Amino acid sequence: MPGETNKAIQCSEFDALLTEALDGSLAGQQLERFQAHAHTCSVCGALFAEIDAGRRLLHSLEEVEPPVHLVNNILAATTGLDTTRMHVRGRVAPAQPSWLDRIQQWVAPVSAPVFALVRQPRFAMSFGMAFFSISMALNIAGVKLADVRHVDLRPSAVVRQYHITTGRVVKYYENIRFVYEIESRVRDFKRATTPAEPAPTPEQHRKDNGNTSQQPEQRQERNYSRGDNQPILASAPDGPPVVSASTIRRFA
Amino acid sequence: MDDAQFVAALIRRCIAGDAAAWEEIVQRYHRRIYNICYRFAGSSDDAQDLTQEVFIKMYRTLNTYDVERAAFMTWVTTVTRNLLVDHFRKTKHDRMTDSLDAPLSEHEDAMPLSDKIEDNSLPPDARVQSRETKESVHHALQKLSPELREAVILRDLQDMDYREIAVVLRVPEGTVKSRINRGRAELARLLQRTYKQVM
Repeated sequence: MPGETNKAIQCSEFDALLTEALDGSLAGQQLERFQAHAHTCSVCGALFAEIDAGRRLLHSLEEVEPPVHLVNNILAATTGLDTTRMHVRGRVAPAQPSWLDRIQQWVAPVSAPVFALVRQPRFAMSFGMAFFSISMALNIAGVKLADVRHVDLRPSAVVRQYHITTGRVVKYYENIRFVYEIESRVRDFKRATTPAEPAPTPEQHRKDNGNTSQQPEQRQERNYSRGDNQPILASAPDGPPVVSASTIRRFA
Repeated sequence: MDDAQFVAALIRRCIAGDAAAWEEIVQRYHRRIYNICYRFAGSSDDAQDLTQEVFIKMYRTLNTYDVERAAFMTWVTTVTRNLLVDHFRKTKHDRMTDSLDAPLSEHEDAMPLSDKIEDNSLPPDARVQSRETKESVHHALQKLSPELREAVILRDLQDMDYREIAVVLRVPEGTVKSRINRGRAELARLLQRTYKQVM
């Protein structure tokens, strides 16, 4: 039987000695027994030949030369600095490090990994997108960075600016056609629901002419109410000409 | 001062923020790391990226290295090996969709120095054959399973001893030996099958 027979050693023992035999650490009688088994056992002999061939082929591979820029790339990726070796060679006498260098050296263990991380393309892309989004939002909002320095930040100026802005917003809001239409509908609805004011009797009218206290307000109120319900013609004999609420709104 | 003490001093200086010490470490180990990455990943571009990643990882975790536990070289190789395994897992899908018969010429960008310098002692035919054999071996190495590949790379290409390899791979020495021999035999079979003239 080719797998297990043999004079000196068993196949399992042969397996155990394979590595030592290939490394050349077997000697004497043990080496002879190993070789004898390799010659007599076809399975173990073939296995040994294959392993030996594989080992020789692997040993034929030589060390490859790394690219010349690899060290610089590694240093740039880790410390963010270019190689210092070349600078040191060119230096005549070592200069005293400045306070800026000392701070850099002190901060480097913390800052270098952070900068190395930030310099990665995905972070650069994120920063780019964030910058683009912020500039676009500011542009749409009408904010110009050049105007920011002219902003008066005194409390009185801020309060004044607040009131001006509020006034602008209210004016803009009230001038919106939709808002105006809703307001006039609401007004019409209120008028329709309130009971009609009885017409003044001739005696009362005469009495009113004698008493001038509070007259303007009353008349104005009456005029507004009349003007909304029935338009008053310019030739109407009663009272001064009245303009409708819509006209006032339009010219305000 | 022996080499271990010198390296320990370098590491201490490096942790203290000495850029020159870090550069010295990069200069000392980049070739070895690049070679492991190149033989494991198969391409020069991947090897460059992986080498850079290994050093970034080393730079961040240098303070976790314990001088008492293992030699710095073993630690460096462990970091490299872990990153290669991660890379292998991440690119598994890409490899499955790649052609199994990729041209050998893609490895020409990372030739050994002896191939770049003309060896006039050999006739031109022998030089070409020698280069083709090396490319075939490199190509066959990529077809080994990652467990066998890393074992033969560390033993036959990096000349590490079994104990160090066992530490790096976190397996017993017996498993290391078994993987190395299986890897060598598998490589020989692959080459025998594909390029009979090599044998």
